[in-house]
Amino acid sequence: MVKRRILLWFIPGLIVGVIFILGFDRAVEATSTNDFCASCHVHPQATSSWKQGVHYATQSGYRVSCAECHLPPKGEGYLVEKTKTGLRDLWSHWTRDSADFDWEAASSLERASKHVYNSTCIKCHENLFPAKLTREGSDAHLYYNKMTEKGEELQCISCHLNAGHYMKDYTHGSNKSFGLAGSRSDTVFSAPAIVDSFASFTEQVPGSGVTFRMIALPGGKFTMGSPDTEMLRKADEKQRETTVDSFFIAETEVTWNEYMEFYRQTATEGRSTDTEGARLNKAGVDAVSGATPPYGKPDQNWGMGMRPAISMSYHAAETYCRWLSSVTGKKYRLPTEAEWEYACRAGTETPYFFAGDPKGFTKKGLFKSRPDTAVINTYVIYNLNSHSRTQEPSAVKANPWGLRNMSGNVAEFTADIYEGTVEHVIRGGSYRDDAAGVRSASRESTRTDEWLKTDPQMPKSIWWYSDCFYVGFRVVMERNEELRMKN
Amino acid sequence: MKNSGITRRNFLGKAAVAGAAGIIVPTIITSCSTKKSKEVIMPVMPEKAPDGPLLKAGLIGCGGRGTGAALNFLHCGPNLTVTALGDVFTDRITSCRERLAKDGVEVAEESCFTGFDAYQKVIDSGVDIVLLATPPVFRPLHFEAAVSAGKHVFMEKPVAVDPVGARQIMATGLKAKGMDLSVVTGTQRHHQHDYVANWAKVQEGMIGEIVAANCYWNQSQLWYRNPDPAWSEMEYMIRDWVNWCWLSGDHIVEQHVHNIDVVNWFTGKKPESAVSFGARHRRVTGDQYDMFSTDFIYEGGFHVHSMCRQINGTEGNVSEWLQGTEGSSNCQNAIWNKAGEKIWSFEGYKLDEKGIMTDQLPISPYDQEHTDFVTAIRTGKPINEAEAVATSTLAGIMGRMSAYTGKKVTWDEVMNSELKLGPDVYVMGPVEIVKTVPVPGE
Repeated sequence: MVKRRILLWFIPGLIVGVIFILGFDRAVEATSTNDFCASCHVHPQATSSWKQGVHYATQSGYRVSCAECHLPPKGEGYLVEKTKTGLRDLWSHWTRDSADFDWEAASSLERASKHVYNSTCIKCHENLFPAKLTREGSDAHLYYNKMTEKGEELQCISCHLNAGHYMKDYTHGSNKSFGLAGSRSDTVFSAPAIVDSFASFTEQVPGSGVTFRMIALPGGKFTMGSPDTEMLRKADEKQRETTVDSFFIAETEVTWNEYMEFYRQTATEGRSTDTEGARLNKAGVDAVSGATPPYGKPDQNWGMGMRPAISMSYHAAETYCRWLSSVTGKKYRLPTEAEWEYACRAGTETPYFFAGDPKGFTKKGLFKSRPDTAVINTYVIYNLNSHSRTQEPSAVKANPWGLRNMSGNVAEFTADIYEGTVEHVIRGGSYRDDAAGVRSASRESTRTDEWLKTDPQMPKSIWWYSDCFYVGFRVVMERNEELRMKN
Repeated sequence: MKNSGITRRNFLGKAAVAGAAGIIVPTIITSCSTKKSKEVIMPVMPEKAPDGPLLKAGLIGCGGRGTGAALNFLHCGPNLTVTALGDVFTDRITSCRERLAKDGVEVAEESCFTGFDAYQKVIDSGVDIVLLATPPVFRPLHFEAAVSAGKHVFMEKPVAVDPVGARQIMATGLKAKGMDLSVVTGTQRHHQHDYVANWAKVQEGMIGEIVAANCYWNQSQLWYRNPDPAWSEMEYMIRDWVNWCWLSGDHIVEQHVHNIDVVNWFTGKKPESAVSFGARHRRVTGDQYDMFSTDFIYEGGFHVHSMCRQINGTEGNVSEWLQGTEGSSNCQNAIWNKAGEKIWSFEGYKLDEKGIMTDQLPISPYDQEHTDFVTAIRTGKPINEAEAVATSTLAGIMGRMSAYTGKKVTWDEVMNSELKLGPDVYVMGPVEIVKTVPVPGE
């Protein structure tokens, strides 16, 4: 009797259990189909680029679905990630309109690495050395292997960002044709601008139609750093009285137009002589040898023109200044950190060169989902308005001394060494930074090793960072003796 | 012999019985505090390769070692043949062909190819296996072509003369792995019974943790050839190849790679940096040194002193030595405890007519490596030594670079170096390279 009773409970229990498990499995499957994804993720652009991409129309005929790339493999955190992303998606579905999402920004490498999993790539692509792999590819995958053995994590999409979704003009190989095409201006200057007084002027680059504005800043005394009372400040912003001499500073960060002129006039083709030693000795005033071709797209496919140039190494930025000095007959260089902050503050002593406090411009912190960013938006390209990329200088207003993008857009190299390191100070914050990082006193440093992490070339490029897209630079020009006497 | 391990006799016996299956011997590491059990996977080393469908090999590089490799291959099992020969020189092909004919292997005239492109013709001639035995500068190119064509490869050491070539070998080796091809590399100590038995003892922990090592290839002058007016410079250099760095990698790479490779193999580690001395005193031709002395610092921080010399009338020594926390090993046939008492010796050598043990192995490692190679192919259990030999080759290159410059060279530097030796294209005629002997320092 007892046995019967147990059976009586056991059998229905078993059936319910089986149904539950089957049902659960079904539910997992049903909520992982492409149609199910598309029912909430209304992003025609992503859908069409997926259909144009290599994983939709594969050679083998297998079609890779959304969840296959955007979730880790089953058994490797699949259910956990599915639950997390599912809850996040539900929340967004109820609270936000998908038309407001910045889908393009979501496809940037930085954002993409948060919803693409290496383990998933490797699960299908278990052989990284297929028979048809090119020599360049072999070198790159060998590099990946060696880094992985050392415990350094590299992302597959660092080089294969277009794997899931088609990207126009994307390339991850050596980009030998970089900068060769492109429209040249009708005007070609035969001589640089003549500067005979300490006043702002427009520089013209001989042999090209490239111009840029240089603003004359009379020297002065100011307080560098931030007071202890400043919100969101960091410990490395200690205040001190500082004096700077008069100098000229560019109105904007060096644009791609300017940088590409340098690249065209100085670039060297092969990599065979691209070794630090050989170059450093040769880089005289008369013949500056410049960058070798980059790997992939240094502009991240965001467009070039008036956007600030990015991805160039500190060494390349310094070489640019040397080249610019030689073709214009002036003395261009990177600003010192003091000159930079003096120019950025433009006489102000507040967190920004405009009114407002950092906490008012950030989303971080409790109950801060909709900060009032009206003021900062007119001056600074930062994380809440940048769409995860650089913007043209015309998108913002200048600071009181007529300089644009001192804060935000791209962080800028300075000539100073960050104390206690061998890295250089970078200032101003970038399109990726929160309100705290674009304050006038905010400081960061270069991170050379990290910025070259995915460069598969041997040796690594001394001209291009493979993993840094948020730093550029701005040039300053020294007043020469003649001008010094005049003023 | 207190150790549980494996005696040579029973491991050979078992290996023969087990055929292709690797034997896993669980043992206890005796070193310091960690008493973790460690599995030593013994390589399979049958006496003969198993039978199977006919395997046709093509030989690229028909000099002494190439011809020798072809004979070792032919002798290692049933149903094996050589059907194609390639070399830059006709006389090499002729002598090799005659030698093979003595063993009853006739290679057809139309399957003999000469010139710098002979390798591709051999690969495309319908062979299953390619044997590579040219001077090492050509190895990366030939290996890549063979693997791309889906061939199993036996290749002689060293496998490159420069970092660019060594990396190409590594990447091609990984391609071969993906295609389930077997690659055996002429570092025959890996197939030499006394070395393998000693290696197993060291892996079991008989000498504890390795704290230092030495390795040597000190011998008399090797050989050289004088120029002949009938030869172009290229022809002369190739005929005199063991004296030219771009062809051989210098003797620290060409010859001493064996000993460095043994240290890598026994320790399971590779050098992280090298500081070398080197010089040229008596070499007659070419641009190489005739002695090197290198202080390698290995992963984990222990030092390995490597030396190699090719000078007549000097002390000879070709061997390795490991010092562990519990004892020491000569890597070949003896292990001592800390007190200097011999605690293990290899007992599998041939006995002479009086029953006294000789120093001869029943199976020569040059045969055994081919037996293991063909066994791997026929049993469908690929072995792949490409990356290991490329690593050892690169270690030798690192030592050479340090000696030539007088500077310390690190593994990362050599792994990332773009150094590529030799002319860009190979044609008979003048060779446009720097031919001066390197002088270290300023």
